[in-house]
Amino acid sequence: MATLVASAQKANRAEQKGPTLSVRMRRGFWGYVFISPWILVYAVFGLYPLLLSFYLTFFTYSFVTPDNYVFVGIGNWIQGLLDPLFWQSVLNILYNQVIFIALTNIIGLATALLLYKVTNLGRLFRTIYFMPVITSVVVLMAIGGYLTSPTGPVQSELVRMGLLSAPVFWKFNLFLPMPIIAVINSWKWFGISTVIYLAGLFAIDTQYYEAAAIDGASGWQQFWAIALPALRPQIFFLLVVNVINGLQMFTEVFTLGYDVYGGPQHQALTPVLYLYAQAFDRSNIGYASALGLLLAGLIAILTIIQFRFLSTNEGE
Amino acid sequence: MLPSKKFTWATAIVYLLLVLGSLVVLYPFAYMLMNSVKLGPEILNSPTSLPTKLTLTGFQGVFATLNMLLLFKNSLILALSITFLNTFLSAMAGYAIAKIPFPGRKQIFGFMLATMMIPGVLFLIPTYVMMYRLGWVGHFYALIIPSAISVYNIFLIRQFVIGIPNEQIEAARLDGANDIHIFTAIILPLSRPVLATVAILSFIGSWNDFLGPLLYLNKPETWTVQLGLYQFQSSITGENLQQLWASMVMVTLPLVLVYFLLQDQFIKAFANVSFK
Repeated sequence: MATLVASAQKANRAEQKGPTLSVRMRRGFWGYVFISPWILVYAVFGLYPLLLSFYLTFFTYSFVTPDNYVFVGIGNWIQGLLDPLFWQSVLNILYNQVIFIALTNIIGLATALLLYKVTNLGRLFRTIYFMPVITSVVVLMAIGGYLTSPTGPVQSELVRMGLLSAPVFWKFNLFLPMPIIAVINSWKWFGISTVIYLAGLFAIDTQYYEAAAIDGASGWQQFWAIALPALRPQIFFLLVVNVINGLQMFTEVFTLGYDVYGGPQHQALTPVLYLYAQAFDRSNIGYASALGLLLAGLIAILTIIQFRFLSTNEGE
Repeated sequence: MLPSKKFTWATAIVYLLLVLGSLVVLYPFAYMLMNSVKLGPEILNSPTSLPTKLTLTGFQGVFATLNMLLLFKNSLILALSITFLNTFLSAMAGYAIAKIPFPGRKQIFGFMLATMMIPGVLFLIPTYVMMYRLGWVGHFYALIIPSAISVYNIFLIRQFVIGIPNEQIEAARLDGANDIHIFTAIILPLSRPVLATVAILSFIGSWNDFLGPLLYLNKPETWTVQLGLYQFQSSITGENLQQLWASMVMVTLPLVLVYFLLQDQFIKAFANVSFK
């Protein structure tokens, strides 16, 4: 950060020696024209909604009675912080994400290592592994839901093999929906991790492996001592992106057929689903806005923690 | 760790594992295809077995009950408008930030990067309230206009355009070309690889989007394929179960075909990495 500021100051000083500001602004006329669509779109659909969201948290507002605006101060914020359902949804999504992130990264890294070893057909395997990534969540959740349903092939096979005594109605089990959704989701998304890790592996200089092999290091030792440390930027990137996206899960639970409160015991309630329920089922717009800001705050805290403890570019 | 050229048992195991992995990834797609040509009762009674008799009643039923062509038309209108607008406007902004030295450029770029950190969930409710007040709910432009340009795409294009040599731009400028000429005649043709990336991301993003259409497209005649598919799922009875699978095949197949044709560009777009 410090170097960034310093270089910006240097650049400013260098520019100040040149033509005057108005001359430079006239020369950069097309720059302003070309950037203006973004400024316009962001002002209207970015900044304004952000301010509106913050503003709405201090009111009760409903689509049913739009004229009935009542100022409630920080009431919505307090209610959100004390809402057991909101915290259950947060726990649910954390439970889901811990499993999802572990699975996608382990499967992604394992498949990347396998693909790295292969000289033929690598491109074909990569194409296959990436296929679920481009398919829609609605379709994949429908397939995943049927495959894992009590009468579906996965459970009937497990029963036949004797690993399961009887089919399980996991959708309404208290603890099973989140892990099973995490498994289906990691099947959908691991292809991205595979490709990112594979690119990371190809970027490692092979001389390190050769030198280690001469010193008698096994493939396993080479992985722990050379490959894994070199993949730290990729691991960090995938963690940050997964946490930001994963905590905002909605379509998965919504299309699996749960009600907007995530089932009778709220076992599949995610924060965004709860926010949706408050906004569109109960028409508590002010409260839903507060929940959105609370969730965004939570994501920010988790992201900052990751940058603080895992970031790899401190020295640069 | 290193790839080996000669045959060993270790490489045989590697291939075996990769094939097993492929089967796990492909099985759900095969299951979908298989069930789309089975009869409803057969799907219920023997979900894992191959169809005893091939039937196209699933596909016929989908066309009879669901206006598939309309859903495709709506999804295409949305996805193509967003892709075209977003690619073009993001390219303009990306070029300006990479190559036109206007005062305030660094500040604007820094601000853009900061906005990337804001999670999308924050915009959900206030944007809906705004659209509701504007009377935009139910219209395609409620989805198109906010997605007309995006910071991530500006960033990707800027990273690419910055690598285009300045000499070429300066030479054109000396010949009297203004920034519009430079942008259309030099930057756009040279940026084709990154424009493909941005276009694919925009297209897949809006084609597969569910929450946006769920919020804003409340009339059946405006539904997209994803929304239509979701609404259709709940209305199907057991004996017509093949229709559900047929509808999923119809929604998935076009995209998968395009993916196989442009696989390298797709993978590069999503993972932002490329292989030689």
